[in-house]
Amino acid sequence: MPKKRVGALEKVDADLPNLQYKIRRDPKSYSEDFLNQYGQYKSQRDIFMASPSTATSAGIVSFRDLIDFVAHVADCFPEDTAEFPEDLKNILTSYHAELESELREKIVGSLVLLRRKEIIDSANLLNTLFPILVATPSKTLRSLLFSKILSDLRTSNSKSTNHRLNRTMQTALFNLLSSDKTSQKGIWAVKITRELWKRQIWTDAKAVEIMKEASLADNEKVIGGGVRFFLGGDKEREELEDESSDEEVVDIGKLKHQHGINKKTKKKTKTLERAVEKVKKHEKKKKAPHPLNFSALHLLHDPQGFAEQLFSKHLQNTKSKLNLDQKLLVLQLVSRLIGLHKLTVISLYSYFIKYLTPRQPSVTSFLASLAQATHNLVPPDALEPLVQKIANEFVSEASASEVASAGLNAIREICVRQPLAMNDTLLQDLVMYRKSKDKGTMMAAKGLLSLYREVGADMLKKRDRGKTATMGLKSGSIKDRRFGEEEAGGIEGLELLEEWKENERKRKRVERGLPEEVGSDEEEEDEQDWDAWDVESDASSDSGGWINVESDGEIEISDSEDDKPAVKKAKTQASKSEAEAKESTNEKTELEKEEQKISKLATTKILTPADLAKLQELRLEASLSKAMGGNKVQTARQKELLARHADDALTAEQIEGFSKLRKSTKEERVALAREGKGDRSEHKSTQALRRDKKDSEGKSSTNKEKSRKKNFMMTLGKAKFKQKRSLVQTKRVLQGHVERSKRGGKRGNIGM
Amino acid sequence: MGSSARKKKEKKKDFQKVKLKVGKTKAKPDNFTDTSFKAKSIVVNQQSLSTSAPTSSAQFEHYLSLASSSKSDTQRRDALAYLTSRLSSRPVNEPLPLPTSILLPKLAPLILDGTASVRTQLLKFLRLLPSSDIGDRAEAMLLYIRAGMTHLAVDIRTDALSVMEWMLEVAPEDVVACPGGWVKTLKCFMSMMGWALSIGTTKWTAATKASFGKAGKTFPRQLMVLAQFLRAGLVEQQALPPTASRQALFPLTDVNIHMIPTSSNAYAHLNLFGTPRDEEGEMYVDREGRQRVFNKLFQTAVEKGIENAKKEAGEPGRAGAVLAKVLKDGMGDFNGVDDTL
Repeated sequence: MPKKRVGALEKVDADLPNLQYKIRRDPKSYSEDFLNQYGQYKSQRDIFMASPSTATSAGIVSFRDLIDFVAHVADCFPEDTAEFPEDLKNILTSYHAELESELREKIVGSLVLLRRKEIIDSANLLNTLFPILVATPSKTLRSLLFSKILSDLRTSNSKSTNHRLNRTMQTALFNLLSSDKTSQKGIWAVKITRELWKRQIWTDAKAVEIMKEASLADNEKVIGGGVRFFLGGDKEREELEDESSDEEVVDIGKLKHQHGINKKTKKKTKTLERAVEKVKKHEKKKKAPHPLNFSALHLLHDPQGFAEQLFSKHLQNTKSKLNLDQKLLVLQLVSRLIGLHKLTVISLYSYFIKYLTPRQPSVTSFLASLAQATHNLVPPDALEPLVQKIANEFVSEASASEVASAGLNAIREICVRQPLAMNDTLLQDLVMYRKSKDKGTMMAAKGLLSLYREVGADMLKKRDRGKTATMGLKSGSIKDRRFGEEEAGGIEGLELLEEWKENERKRKRVERGLPEEVGSDEEEEDEQDWDAWDVESDASSDSGGWINVESDGEIEISDSEDDKPAVKKAKTQASKSEAEAKESTNEKTELEKEEQKISKLATTKILTPADLAKLQELRLEASLSKAMGGNKVQTARQKELLARHADDALTAEQIEGFSKLRKSTKEERVALAREGKGDRSEHKSTQALRRDKKDSEGKSSTNKEKSRKKNFMMTLGKAKFKQKRSLVQTKRVLQGHVERSKRGGKRGNIGM
Repeated sequence: MGSSARKKKEKKKDFQKVKLKVGKTKAKPDNFTDTSFKAKSIVVNQQSLSTSAPTSSAQFEHYLSLASSSKSDTQRRDALAYLTSRLSSRPVNEPLPLPTSILLPKLAPLILDGTASVRTQLLKFLRLLPSSDIGDRAEAMLLYIRAGMTHLAVDIRTDALSVMEWMLEVAPEDVVACPGGWVKTLKCFMSMMGWALSIGTTKWTAATKASFGKAGKTFPRQLMVLAQFLRAGLVEQQALPPTASRQALFPLTDVNIHMIPTSSNAYAHLNLFGTPRDEEGEMYVDREGRQRVFNKLFQTAVEKGIENAKKEAGEPGRAGAVLAKVLKDGMGDFNGVDDTL
């Protein structure tokens, strides 16, 4: 508040804050004063209403201050101020465009205050603010309203989810979007929904539905907002959660220790208590069951319809006004939906044809989208021309090395998802590029090769197949896949886990000094303490024979089907091909083994999260060792490729691989140069940096450093004496030095 | 000897000729003083740069804007004083330099001005305005008067009362009949004198020891102004001498009723075009309506207040007696039958 006004206030003793303070302490005694002020408010309001645009806040007690005052004490006189909120709402809704900005802000603030005092309810407030947010031309007011709306929604959802409010708000947002598809106002619906999604206040399908509506709007900004939400909203949410979870953790032990030693005051006790409380809260939060947060893409209702609509409205439609970047975003979303939900939008693939040339701007994004839109249920006929086109356009001796590597990477990514999209002549041709001089191209071609060693070794030339693949082909353990075939049952890598567990147990037994193999009498004991709580595990191990019986029955069925020609059911097909490869007797035992392998662990034990993590690790390891025992870099790269989940999005960078098609920016180059050099805030010698690091870790200094830092005056005596030494003394010193160095220091370095 | 060589060199330095170069500005001499300066703001002493003296009407406008919007209170007061002198010194038949419709809306906010001298000067100015023009702007003026009457500052309240007095002298009929002029103003009086009651009052009798209502000396004055106001609203005005209309011949009886009304917006009470008004904002054009509303909302409170005032004796007691008489005159012929409305 300016000084001048304070002076004026003192002159006429018009002190509203003072009165407010008095009223809050004792409303009844000051009711008369309040009524007077309320009367004053009313007359000021009348003046204001008579000419809203010209009325200024001149005068010592402005209208703004009166509104503030009444809002603050309104809860003490609910009957008298019954019409106050309505007044404010009317003023705001009808004059928000021409109001003076400070007054406007004060009115908004007062309404929020009234809401906090629960004089008006949330729905009421939001119904007032939201239309203004959408309508107002003022930027400051918009940002104010936006923050107020968000904070109100957050507070009303803080204790428990306010379903009713959320529903009304969501309906309002949805109506805003669906009522006028061309207007830009829908952006507010998008913004609010995204923010609330990020903060995990709205996590239901209705919010996703709003965004779906936004993505199908006609305005570019709204479309962009909706599409970006689907592409990045969940990541944002995770990041926020990570941020909030790794807040500074208080070391309670240290605090308690300090409290024991330091002077005891009330304040310090209180801080300790508070810290304990905080830690407890933190622990509680940690232990609370993780809320099931489905990603927006998974909560989507009717993804097929959505993908089709998006594609036909924004991409196929020649009248759509989106520019290339926006189209790419939409394309990314469509392809992500298709890849994730395994949808079928056949016309999408022919749409790609046009864009698959090296001259197309941001072609790598197109390639990434194409790969993303591929899954194992896409007919190979639709993909084959695309793969062919990529090979023709990108991969040739004449094309630049980056182009070739991008093309090869794209083909590889497509074929990972649908191996049948490749024919053998093309494959053999492409694989030849592994001899290329360019590293990117070479790596990409090798990636393709190693992929097909796994999924279609028979398409490769014999000498390219590699040892494992050739052996596998010979023994018949590698079978060619058919279109639409699904892997039958089982958890991948479960047998690995079982093996690992067995080994672990053995190792433990050895450590305890017992024989590696368990004796018959010991076994029960071991089993008992292994899972003493698990009663059913015993029962199921008893009924191992029962499983055998069932598997026999299954074999019989498959035998009977053996007579029929080429039935294309996935399950029977698998067993059938095996039956052809081997004798029936052999096969029986083989299958029995397999059945046992599949059923044992998962059905008898409950896998803990740690088990699952180990399982994942083992799976990776196994596939790595199967691929190649090559050099380190290659394995690392391979690992990264394998670790990527099939559901994850594919980016243009991954297609570009090592070689970048675009020039790197300066920041990137600087970052690259700085990489691995550590944090270097000021320019110092390496020695000094090392010293700092040691200091910060609390480590001691070396003798050399100590002697360097030693006070000069302390060294002076010795230095002076050195000159006066006799020959005998010098000899003794030198001898001592030789001996010490032999011994390895004063105390001798014996290797303690 | 070396030193002498050095001295020679130094001497030479003083008279060295500066070389001129093509394309370069001439070097500044040694004794050059930089006279350029920077300033964050430029202050202009006189705002108008015209050579001829401003006309009197332009000057009047200038002072009007100064009076209405100047930040400094002395400037406002002086401007108002100038305006007052201009009005008082003009020849009798000359019209105002600016019409009242422009003057009043600009100066009415000064009723709430924080400085006492400005307010007293304002009252002086208002008294000079032609009374016939005030009636039409009663509603706008009343807005500010009411705001002044309920103001937190005691001085502003008393000064607003004197403006009210002036209004009642000049245009009593318009004050009580304009929209909101009756009920809202009465409410203001009630709250000013501490006779109003909170809607949500409990059965407890609140000890009215609040800082606001007790204005001590001004209380009798408030009573007097209220009496004046009630007289304007409730007591029947002397009817026009009927002789004039009687004298006309048969078809021309009551002809002035059928003529085009002299006041502007004669049908305002029908409120044909505005937003619907509530009980407070309604126009009470006739005396019966005002009586009815007064009876319904205020009479008991006022009567109680009068009793208390009478008990105080002295000046408030006398003022209370005056008020009681007005009340008796005004409400004497009222019968509370038609309270059903």
